[in-house]
Amino acid sequence: MEFFWNLYQSKVWVVPFLIYAIGILLFGSVTLLAIIIWTRHTHIKEQKFILQYDRLIEPMLLNVLFDTGSYSTFNNDPHYSSLFNNTVFRKQMMANIINLHKNYEGSYAKKLEKFYLESHLITDSFRKLKNARWEIQCLAIEELSEMNVVTVFEHLVDTSKSSNKLLKIAAIKGCIKLNGTKGITHLIRHKDPLDQWSQLSIIDAIKHGDLRLTEGIEILLTSKNDTVVSLGLKIIQSLHLSQHNLDIIRMISTTDNVYLKQEGQLTLTAIKSSNT
Amino acid sequence: MTFFTAEITAMVNIYLLLILLYAILIMSSYLVLAVLSFIELKEYIKKNSFIDYEILLSSQQAPYLSLIAPAYNEGLTIEENVKSLLSLNYNNYEVIVVNDGSKDNSMDMLISTYDLIKKDLDHETPITTKAIRGIYRSKNAAFKKLTVVDKENGGKADALNVGLNIAKHPYAVCIDVDCILDKDSLLKLAKPFLESIDKKVIATGGVVRIANQCTIEDGRLIDVNVPNKLLPRIQVLEYLRAFLLGRMAWERLDGLLLISGAFGAFDREIAIKAGGYNTKTVGEDMELVVRMRRYMLERNIPYTVSYIPDPLCWTEAPDNAAIFKKQRSRWMRGTIETLWIHRKMFFNPKYKILGMISVPYWTFFEFLAPLIEFVGLLVTLIFVILGILNWKIFLLLFLFVYIFATMFSLLALLGEELTYHKYPRIKDFLKLFAAALIEPLYFHPLAVYAALIGYWEKIKGKKTWGDMTRQGFQKKQ
Repeated sequence: MEFFWNLYQSKVWVVPFLIYAIGILLFGSVTLLAIIIWTRHTHIKEQKFILQYDRLIEPMLLNVLFDTGSYSTFNNDPHYSSLFNNTVFRKQMMANIINLHKNYEGSYAKKLEKFYLESHLITDSFRKLKNARWEIQCLAIEELSEMNVVTVFEHLVDTSKSSNKLLKIAAIKGCIKLNGTKGITHLIRHKDPLDQWSQLSIIDAIKHGDLRLTEGIEILLTSKNDTVVSLGLKIIQSLHLSQHNLDIIRMISTTDNVYLKQEGQLTLTAIKSSNT
Repeated sequence: MTFFTAEITAMVNIYLLLILLYAILIMSSYLVLAVLSFIELKEYIKKNSFIDYEILLSSQQAPYLSLIAPAYNEGLTIEENVKSLLSLNYNNYEVIVVNDGSKDNSMDMLISTYDLIKKDLDHETPITTKAIRGIYRSKNAAFKKLTVVDKENGGKADALNVGLNIAKHPYAVCIDVDCILDKDSLLKLAKPFLESIDKKVIATGGVVRIANQCTIEDGRLIDVNVPNKLLPRIQVLEYLRAFLLGRMAWERLDGLLLISGAFGAFDREIAIKAGGYNTKTVGEDMELVVRMRRYMLERNIPYTVSYIPDPLCWTEAPDNAAIFKKQRSRWMRGTIETLWIHRKMFFNPKYKILGMISVPYWTFFEFLAPLIEFVGLLVTLIFVILGILNWKIFLLLFLFVYIFATMFSLLALLGEELTYHKYPRIKDFLKLFAAALIEPLYFHPLAVYAALIGYWEKIKGKKTWGDMTRQGFQKKQ
């Protein structure tokens, strides 16, 4: 201790310490400034590329949709063939095709699905699905389920057990997209609680899917997981599924959870008032 | 120091050592908070890219919110401000404008613009407030979300308490009526209340940004600009630092003490049980958050306070030194009052991170920092007068502090670039960069001076807010 006090009092350390500290801070500041400039530059460049590629991708996809265009046609076109191996171009093409697919059904959607398969964008999605980062997996799930790749369903059921909330929601939404409400009946065995945001996200996915596919939803009311039962009640209420009134009454009589009993009663009242 | 006795020399050395330790502690705490903020921001942005807020828009199960907007002498802008509050992207909400005994024509404006008629509405008064003169609702169905309360003047906290009493919904969103809210602000503010299972979310705050010289149209922000005037321009930088590099870190630590009075949402039941806003302090926003947290901790109820880094609320910053000094001295009085009211929490392990880190941090680095700087200046001056100042060390030290401050501002600018990128024009970036270079020499001394005035006003027992004259936003031509 005395050594340090003497060293401190001698003050021989002050000037070298300050000079080194200033040097480090100056280096830090210049580095930060360089990173800011580089970030801005990259951002601007990225925006430029997006605009440039969009000008090529949009007519190509519209040609696929409304004309006779196919992947092979464009792959033989020198304007496009080199770009098909460009990562940024493929990323942009994926985003466009997914957005477009959301707006079309039937034969038009099938054309886009065919393009997705032939252009090997599907391989990109599967590669992303195997990525260790959850956000990349979420993207892959969105892409694969949007493009109706049903083979991925079982994988999504497994992923819906993930402890990562967003990955879990993405997987459940994917299941719904591929299999309607049947895609969530596996939640009956779900152990972790689902928060309200997850529940609303699931309901929203159901609303955006095929509303005719609601069979089996009542099974959620028999789950041992109270939040899954609550989800079942919310789905029944949101879709006004009055045919499940008896299932709700059964749930109310069997559950010990006061909040669920209350929610069940409110659901029955809401369905009743919406039907009158 | 030849004419100093050994004792005095030792005392000076001890003082300098303490100041050195304090400086090291405060600077490292800033850096630690910045690192934590960056981690939290990165996670938030990543998660947010998968969030569809429209879910709340179409859902009956979206949380029900009561927007409480106290108004005092806002006649010039109240019509447009209320209109903008009524047109937010959200379904389950009501707007309660509390006219806090305005002396101008605010109430007449509201009555005529929104077809208001006096109603006898039954409501409980769990919080005692000044007398209510009347509660008004609109005859026009288009304004069915609007309730206007006319009351005797009692200050902002009292007006907010009236709003808490009148509110029908479980969550109260307290805002400054003259703030510009992002269209999706309520969607974003409501989401955290739905996300927690094992902890109750008692409050959510959003980032406030500076709107001086930004273009506003129909109560909406349509073009973001960096102000030309130096004082508001530096405040843009200051707010970026405070919100992006400070509060996000406190959110991560679950030790947030302050949700800006300009825009924050609270669990109404807990806010009322905790006693509502304290009318005896000018820092009612911070005091309420601390009291609500204390209420939960003392009852061992698991809870959390959430924070959203999205720029949801835009406000006008003081653009001249006189108003700036009034604002900052009031902030300092508010800090002193809150810390004093809750002094029991200081280094009290019963209050967990709040007692052991947040409250001591605010005490040492928010409340005491200006005083320590002032004492440092005086000591330096004495050293100069006595001719014992080592100018070489002084200049190196000055350079060290200056470069640290600039680097920290650059860190905030980087945070902004990597996240919201609200200032894409090169001109705006250069203005902010220049502000970062000027700030330690101009703005910081002014802020310290204002804080010292705050100490002095507190000693004198000043309790009022002081006038905050605003210039008004720039409208689109």
